Amino acid sequence: MHKSIQETLKTGWIVIGILAVMTVAEFIVAIAVDDKAILFALLLIAGLAKAWLIIQYFMHFGQLWEHISDAWFGMLSDDPEADGEED
Amino acid sequence: MTHEHAPRVNHRFDPLTINRLGLWLFLVSDASFFIALLSSRFFVVGTSTPEEVAQVLGLSLTILLLLSSLTAYRAEAAAEHGDVHGAKRMLLATMAMGIIFVFGVGFEWHEAFKHFPPSTAFGTVLFTLTGVHVTHVLTGVLTLGFVYFRVRNTDSIGDNQWAVEGAVKWWHFVDVAWVFIYPTLYLLK
Repeated sequence: MHKSIQETLKTGWIVIGILAVMTVAEFIVAIAVDDKAILFALLLIAGLAKAWLIIQYFMHFGQLWEHISDAWFGMLSDDPEADGEED
Repeated sequence: MTHEHAPRVNHRFDPLTINRLGLWLFLVSDASFFIALLSSRFFVVGTSTPEEVAQVLGLSLTILLLLSSLTAYRAEAAAEHGDVHGAKRMLLATMAMGIIFVFGVGFEWHEAFKHFPPSTAFGTVLFTLTGVHVTHVLTGVLTLGFVYFRVRNTDSIGDNQWAVEGAVKWWHFVDVAWVFIYPTLYLLK
């Protein structure tokens, strides 16, 4: 079911808000943390979380599974109608 | 043409499925290129970052690119809901932010040449990573511009829905790449 435009835009604002907070947090953490290994780990976690937010909500990664499923069962299908063979 | 020689057409492979799967495959392959470049930073200079790196500029560029992802998202949402004028406005806003980003990177390069020219280890990493990324940004601006050109005189999105979605997905990919480039170049110690 499709979301309304208001719901879609609200999702966009929430995601961008979280991304902005995480970006500022990264900046502060980079100033505050001196341990190289801990800093690397924290930045990696933050980067992966931000990337996931963009991929999941802005790039609609979830819809990909439906297409993969379509393609997979399309390849396996011996249904004449699905394959366009009518007789 | 006889019936026996008619091509088999599988209707489960609709154009949108092919387009989306094809674009995602391309994005994954391009991501591997960025992963290789990002890993080169650690081989060449480890995790150390020169103090002269323009931290505020890096943060500003990051926030600008994130904001452009929001306008790109809104452009796609507007197109999906039939608001062609909203889509055009948001496409223009995204392109404008992309162009500002390119100038920002240009300014960064101007400053970087003074402190770590390309002949230095960190300079090599910085110019390569930002150079490859800004090329992607430019192609994103061109793609969005092409889509805008297609819809600029129309009152409905019509057949251009996929064009908007594909261009916007490409733009988000460029943003995801920067999400990793920013801490790798600016924040590590």
